[in-house]
Amino acid sequence: MSDTRQADERPLLCVEDLAVSFPIASKSDAKDNTHFQTRVRAVNGVNMTVYPRQTLAVVGESGCGKSVSAMSTLQLVPTPPGRYESGRILWDGYETRGPVDLLTYDDRQMREIRGNHIAMIFQEPMTSLNPVYTIGEQIMEAVLLHQNVTRQQAVEIAAKALADVGIADALGRMKEYPHQMSGGMRQRIMIAMALACQPKLLLADEPTTALDVTIQAQILELLRELQAEHNMAIMLITHDLGVVAENADVVAVMYAGRVVEYGSVHDVFGDPLHPYTHGLFKSMPVLGQSHDRLTVIEGQVPNLAADALEYAIDRKGQPTDQQVQANPTLADVVMRDGHAVRVFRPSPEEQPHLLEVKPKHWVAVYDEDGTQHGESTRPDVLYRRAEAGEAAAAAPA
Amino acid sequence: MTDRLDKSPKQETQAAPAPPVDAPRTLLRRVVGATIANHGARIGLAWLAVLLFFSVFAPFLASSHPIAMKDTATGEWSSPLIDHLEVGDVTILISFILGVALWPIKQVKPAIRAWAWLGATLVVFLIANATVSPPAVVVYDEYRTREHAGEIANVWRAPIPYSPKDRLRDRQLEDSTKLDPPVWKGGEYNHLLGQTQFNEDVASRMIHASRIALAVGIIATGIAGFIGVIIGGLMGYFSGAVDLIGMRLVEVFEFIPQLFLLLMFVAFFPGDNPEILPGLPVPRIYMIMVIIGLTSWSGYARFIRAEFLKLRKQDFVAAAEALGLPLRSILFRHMLPNGLTPVIVRASFGVAGAILSEAVLSFLGLGLIEDPSWGQMLNQAARGAEFVWWIAIFPGLAIFLTVLAYNLIGEALRDAIDPYVARRTGGD
Repeated sequence: MSDTRQADERPLLCVEDLAVSFPIASKSDAKDNTHFQTRVRAVNGVNMTVYPRQTLAVVGESGCGKSVSAMSTLQLVPTPPGRYESGRILWDGYETRGPVDLLTYDDRQMREIRGNHIAMIFQEPMTSLNPVYTIGEQIMEAVLLHQNVTRQQAVEIAAKALADVGIADALGRMKEYPHQMSGGMRQRIMIAMALACQPKLLLADEPTTALDVTIQAQILELLRELQAEHNMAIMLITHDLGVVAENADVVAVMYAGRVVEYGSVHDVFGDPLHPYTHGLFKSMPVLGQSHDRLTVIEGQVPNLAADALEYAIDRKGQPTDQQVQANPTLADVVMRDGHAVRVFRPSPEEQPHLLEVKPKHWVAVYDEDGTQHGESTRPDVLYRRAEAGEAAAAAPA
Repeated sequence: MTDRLDKSPKQETQAAPAPPVDAPRTLLRRVVGATIANHGARIGLAWLAVLLFFSVFAPFLASSHPIAMKDTATGEWSSPLIDHLEVGDVTILISFILGVALWPIKQVKPAIRAWAWLGATLVVFLIANATVSPPAVVVYDEYRTREHAGEIANVWRAPIPYSPKDRLRDRQLEDSTKLDPPVWKGGEYNHLLGQTQFNEDVASRMIHASRIALAVGIIATGIAGFIGVIIGGLMGYFSGAVDLIGMRLVEVFEFIPQLFLLLMFVAFFPGDNPEILPGLPVPRIYMIMVIIGLTSWSGYARFIRAEFLKLRKQDFVAAAEALGLPLRSILFRHMLPNGLTPVIVRASFGVAGAILSEAVLSFLGLGLIEDPSWGQMLNQAARGAEFVWWIAIFPGLAIFLTVLAYNLIGEALRDAIDPYVARRTGGD
């Protein structure tokens, strides 16, 4: 692939039609002597694009496939039981060659990417550090692995990384153990560890969920600073809309394994189009407004497993009308022979697909009565609020 | 790849002005330091050091052959003791010297030093096997008789001038049933801990038997722990099909009756040095140790598997994976130290158990026949027509102390690996 656009304007990471499935039940049918396994797609046709120095926020309730999408990028989903059903993850972080599909990489090639080009920080800083090693050893291990440096240089790189995340007396702290640090400190250390090798993309899987509110603000502020300093893209996974509003350039709203709405933070927050996005906003309390009860999104994220199981038991028949009415968002199941079987189709023909309903604003829609609304496209928004702000500031002058 | 290469010089130039600092201590050094700081472990290690000293220098400490002597007829000096050294004696001695020499070379990584030492020991063994040839027939009273006859003079003897199998045939006096008690009970001062009913010297046998005691612990538990950790670790980390197959293997090995396997082995390979393969005689006692090791790894595998099943779900393992660390590092650097505690505790009991197993076998007459081991000496004590307390009490005490020493060290190691406890006991 040759792309004459500037590196800045080429997507760093494109997730195309990614689907990841997990087995939920294994059943032998004695009558027709078949053994079939039901698999459920935790991620089902996800598309997203990350540009360099951009922050993409992936929002949604628990269990909607945010983390699995991020883990898939580094092939951290254990296979088996997980399985990559379809899709490509195009990585364009190499300076000397064009995009490569990370899903085709073997384990050895992935280890080159992990921690070195794409780093990840996790939700739970209390348990993400190995309790038996000092934090210095843990940061240095990644540095020594990915960079061609001596132990002495690795010490210095690690100390600098710790200083970068605002830890005083970095050299002294390097000799301490994780249990001697507070939660906020540990998350800083996790960030230092992730950034020590200067990755181009940071996957932050709910980095502030386990922290109290003041520390949350500090950590997000730190991430913003480091992003500018290191020219790094961030995929920020969160369910906190406040965090999204303050940090994201582009927002992907996910529901039940699919992206249902995608656009710049202004478009999505200013003009939410999908009913689920509306629901998310409605369930946020507004300061100064009194509520008897907060608005809730009725029901739960469809239990992908339970529905698929029910179908597997009676797999010859179509789901009953009752089942459909009880849960209008029944998930897809895949039979063992590889054929996808739809449990319930809101429309007779198609899955929901992402349509660019407004310029640079995508929403998942179903085709009603078999009529195509338009071509489904991969969402792709090149927007950075920092630069937009600069441009806006520069324009009047 | 390429952009990784051009990343590093940038780092180097950045890092250059920073003053040099000490790298943090490695886990191994910290654990060793904390273990040595523990008083119980010091006692245990001291006892093991005594055993090690006895094991290495046994032929020089207790032997019927003079260290040096002069032939009165020719005036030539000679050393029958060195002439009588066997392949094992020579290998252990040179291996020990190599170990002491390699220990202080700090420039080389400890793991590389350890492998170099093992390799060198193997080479020494092969060379010794080809070159060392002690006299086939050993006459223990030869030099005593010759000294008595005035054929040799200026005889320098070992501190305990009796070999473990020297039955003092030249001194079978009129009252051969009377045994020398330990020296403080009025025995002859040469027999420090008394005599066995075959007139052998108890102290000499004890010293030579310490080799067996050390070797049983190290070989049997080492083999069992090594196999157990590898198989258990793979089972726990991969789970699924690997776990299923591994657990069946564990179950198969748990059903092998160790004692009957050993009985069968002894029946097939009689004698102290049976030929395992044609032309390859191996001391039976070492084969017994290997069999104990090969049949007792299943417990370690179960422990490690359980720990790894728990650990693989931990965030720091996912974090290590996300950093791109190789499987070897994740399994053995990040998961193993966190899951090793129960294995170490078990291993300390395992060593004790292996020593007791050997003692049981020897007691039943299935271990060593002529050569001494502590269990064999207990057997000797029980077999005698008349119970002689000093034949039983010293080997019994030695077994007790060794088992205790391993337990003390195991306890200290457990505390040292746990960083919460290590802080309190001063292990950095």
